[in-house]
Amino acid sequence: MTLFFLGIASVLLGGLSALALRRQASLAAIAFGVLVGLGCALAVVPAIRVLAGGVVPDLRLSAAVPGGDWVFGVDPLSAFFLVIVLTVGAASALYGISYLAPEAEHRPVAASHLLMSLEIASLAMVVTARAAMPFLIAWECMAVLAYFLIVFESDHAEVRRAGLVYLIGTHTGTLALIALFAFWAQFAGNLSFDALAAASPRIPAEGALVFALGVAGFGFKAGLVPLHFWLPGAHGAAPSHVSALMSGVVIKMGIYGLLRLVILVGAPPAWWGWLVLSLGLISGVLGVLWALAQHDLKRLLAYHSVENIGIILLGLGIGALGLRYHAPVVAVLGFAGAVLHTLNHALFKSLLFLGAGAVLRATGTRLMDRLGGLARRMPFTWTAFLIGSVAIVGLPPLNGFVSEWVVYQALLGSAQVPAARAAILAVPGLALIGALALACFAKVGGAVFLGRPRSPAAEAGGEVPRSMLGPMFALALACAAIGVAPMIAVVPAIRVGASIGGLGGGPMRAAAAAVGPSLLGISLLAVLLVVLAGAGWWLRELVLRRRPRAWSDTWACGYAFATPRMQYTAASFAAPLLHAYAPAAGVQVERTAGAFHTHPKDLVLDRLVLPLWERLRRGAFRARPIQHGRLGSYLLYLLGALLLLLLYLAVRVEGVGP
Amino acid sequence: MQGLPELLLLLVILTCFVVLGTTRLSACIRAVAWQGLLLGLLPLALYPRGGPHVWGLTAGTILVKAIVLPRFLRWAIREAAVRREVEPLVGYVVSLLFGVVVVAAAFAVSRTLPLAEPAREMLVPASLATVVIGLFVLTTRMKALLQVVGYLMLENGVYLFGLTHVERIPFLMEAGVLLDVFVGIFIMGIVVFHINREFDSLDSAHLSELTD
Amino acid sequence: MSWSGIAAVAIVLFIAPLLPGLAAKTKARLTGRRGAPVHQLYWDLARLWRKGAVYSRTTTWIFRFAPVVLVLTGVLAALFLPLDGQRGVVTFSGDLVAFAYLLALGRFFVVLAALDTGSSFEGMGASREVTVAAFAEPALFLALVALVLATGRLSLTGILGAPLAHAWPAAAPALAMVAVSLFLVLLAEGSRVPVDDPATHLELTMIHEVMVLDHSGPDLALLLYGSALKLALVGALVVAVIAPRAALPPLVGLAVLVLGLMVVAGIIGVVESVMARLRLDRVPQFLTAASVLAALGVILMLVA
Repeated sequence: MTLFFLGIASVLLGGLSALALRRQASLAAIAFGVLVGLGCALAVVPAIRVLAGGVVPDLRLSAAVPGGDWVFGVDPLSAFFLVIVLTVGAASALYGISYLAPEAEHRPVAASHLLMSLEIASLAMVVTARAAMPFLIAWECMAVLAYFLIVFESDHAEVRRAGLVYLIGTHTGTLALIALFAFWAQFAGNLSFDALAAASPRIPAEGALVFALGVAGFGFKAGLVPLHFWLPGAHGAAPSHVSALMSGVVIKMGIYGLLRLVILVGAPPAWWGWLVLSLGLISGVLGVLWALAQHDLKRLLAYHSVENIGIILLGLGIGALGLRYHAPVVAVLGFAGAVLHTLNHALFKSLLFLGAGAVLRATGTRLMDRLGGLARRMPFTWTAFLIGSVAIVGLPPLNGFVSEWVVYQALLGSAQVPAARAAILAVPGLALIGALALACFAKVGGAVFLGRPRSPAAEAGGEVPRSMLGPMFALALACAAIGVAPMIAVVPAIRVGASIGGLGGGPMRAAAAAVGPSLLGISLLAVLLVVLAGAGWWLRELVLRRRPRAWSDTWACGYAFATPRMQYTAASFAAPLLHAYAPAAGVQVERTAGAFHTHPKDLVLDRLVLPLWERLRRGAFRARPIQHGRLGSYLLYLLGALLLLLLYLAVRVEGVGP
Repeated sequence: MQGLPELLLLLVILTCFVVLGTTRLSACIRAVAWQGLLLGLLPLALYPRGGPHVWGLTAGTILVKAIVLPRFLRWAIREAAVRREVEPLVGYVVSLLFGVVVVAAAFAVSRTLPLAEPAREMLVPASLATVVIGLFVLTTRMKALLQVVGYLMLENGVYLFGLTHVERIPFLMEAGVLLDVFVGIFIMGIVVFHINREFDSLDSAHLSELTD
Repeated sequence: MSWSGIAAVAIVLFIAPLLPGLAAKTKARLTGRRGAPVHQLYWDLARLWRKGAVYSRTTTWIFRFAPVVLVLTGVLAALFLPLDGQRGVVTFSGDLVAFAYLLALGRFFVVLAALDTGSSFEGMGASREVTVAAFAEPALFLALVALVLATGRLSLTGILGAPLAHAWPAAAPALAMVAVSLFLVLLAEGSRVPVDDPATHLELTMIHEVMVLDHSGPDLALLLYGSALKLALVGALVVAVIAPRAALPPLVGLAVLVLGLMVVAGIIGVVESVMARLRLDRVPQFLTAASVLAALGVILMLVA
């Protein structure tokens, strides 16, 4: 663990140096980049050691604070998530250096870098904490630091509002988590995870309350429907590298929490597995549907995070059901799929957000209907973004296909489990999610990068500096690597999946044997695709070299006066699908004599949360007369409370009796 | 899943889906006509050696449900000069999806019911599904004739359920078929008052204006 | 990897352009015309291959890459199907997901190529194509799930092989519904009436035809071949569900497949001459009906 803490210390040092050296921009940039990169590389070593099968001893800090000892350790689940935290954290931090550099004059850039390194450190702490106290403290730090990172552009009203909604969402979740640990602690001696795990058989109803509170608390952080309402605003308003970190890593902490609960408590009750499965399906379908309706590129990507959390929950749900119904291979594959998709989503979602940041930096606008034709002006960004798009839709030969395949295998495997056969109905749901994601990213790629520029802002776009392209291509390379050689990620994921279920080597080896030949097949398929595509392209060039080629305007059936504004916009591309799903899509149409606008509304935020909030506010307003500033009345309140307390004690003592 | 009765029941469920998903009124009426035919053949398939009672039931059901009533409905279309489009309150896609959910739920629920004849494993789910889908059509279609079709389906479903007991309670089915007489009265009412949709005007909101 | 498997793939790749021709010929005969020869598409492909190409200045490499991807994904998908009745050339547990997603990869790039031209016509076609796909994919997967439940296997070789033949007597109605559902999906994926009309020339009524409006020369040839190949593959899936050929020797199985494909093409021709193309907002309804049929099949398998 020393290497880990050394790494974290280096990351923190990097942040401090960014703040201290803020007068000399290039020196600060180098110091920050080197220290953060080095720190992440150091801290990831124990994680890799554990994933390769080793064991890292825990670190125990005994202190006379309430809540018991603070324990930090790395087990397979922590290791896997640590890899996610550190790789995406490093990529985002490095990207952020040149992304924020132009704004150094009028925005607190150095403070943002410091906050970023603090955030990476607290994320790493959340994942390695093995006692409730350090876990909750690191959780709160992570949440609050994220708020400050989000409201970087605090001069915009909608950024402040998004930050506020985020803060409300995350604190409601934390409340649920505190309640969870408080309830649990009464059965355990101290608050370390080992003690809590040992106490879990004593929790009534097979841990029902713990699991329910877990879904609420961790669900808020993960962003499952209907607890996702803070997500689009926050991820849309934050700077792009912060959005990448949040979508890639921070929301995964919710998933980490749920998996940790399963490890500590054991097999969840059947209703919980079905609940998580259904929530996953609903989040997946609604997330991608709402993404289709968005005009803003970053909000669209944020809704896609909701969709992918849905896919992860599908894996989690079937894993839980497999555990409950004693189907070890299904359980291992389900959890492995969830964990693997967490990694893959972190990789390609942060890639997409960094790409969106590049587009924003180059053109100054996030509205897809104002962009277009950027593929010629920003070819490298387009290549990286295309790789991210193919990955997120889950198409071979990239990593999205691999993790979705593992989840499919777990769901299809439920056909062998008599009690969970109905879970196979999630398979067409996952197919629907995939098809809608294809529609959405065809829309994004086509509207933003292809075609002709729809506005002067898009025409002005140029390629972004290499320091921003670097992290993007690193992530794209990781996506491709996992896609072509899935074994490097699936085997550790299966190890983690087995450890989540508390299953030993037997089920792990059985699951590995079940998917081993298929992974080879997928790898072969990916290699064939890449190689043959290249060969096909080369052959095509060979054939066409001898044919006459000409360049002209787009034919479009001979219409000669097409302007760029006549192209299909992103909104019109998505219109037929949204029309088909009209009740669920939440699109408000505004039609005047000369104009037509569509406004995407978040159904949960606008129809549920905000009216509820309004009602609460009015109710609170009616309670205002209690506070009228007169000292005498306040003293009366104190007296009244004391009397009530005495009465309660008297009744209770009487009730106990001899 | 062997045998003629199960096949007939599957076809009955499929006719329910045709009623849910089609846009044309005449297709709906044709679907319930086929449903009536299938229902008529069912007693014969279930009790091939039932004797003259079963044959009489078959003949009577086919006569009433598959020939007379659909004819009556088509005559009503012509007499009342009804527009031939189904006008649903709930979209077709949602109706179809609702139908699937109902069928799945019917199968799931009937597993838990204490049934007299465990061998007739598809009869009860099919009847439950037909009843609920008939009710759905009755409540979500704005055309009066389609509401009649929905009512027909509803009591087709009840008839199906009664088939589980046809040997024990004689004349139960015949009494059920008498319910079809009510359908005839509905149709007469529609024709006589030229009720095209629910009432003379588009809006059933006009009903709420019937206050003091 | 068996010789019969590779030979089967080669033969299916070769006869794929025959199927649209057969469908058109059937439709022509039924409407009282003589119609184009059955092998017309071969001549068209050869003619296009010899021509040069005109490219729009708006397009990028995606426009030129997409036809290659479409054909490549079709060929790779063909490797998974047990076309000779016995085994696919490549087979592993869970390859039915790979099959469907390979076809989706081809579709993704064709849609991007359509948007690459920056024209409203191709954009319209692309938008409709993804809408149809969003409704067809769940139907396809429901059918595959029903087959998985019927046979207890997880690979295309498994669900279309000997276990399917054993499952037919017991689960005939469910499998019949699955076959019908797959045929409806075939109409959607192959861009046939009632989802799309391959013979129309009006941009406002096309889906697939309008997506390939700007391609010319060898690129257009590849695109036409790719869509014929997709028709052949999904058609082979339908034939395999209706007539499992595992008990037959590979050569006979292959002959049955070819015959079955021709019959399917003929049925498509009949459907095309009997029905008109649906209004575009009715297409989701049509494909939901296909999903419903497959879902009923799944429900019957789940309770059996």
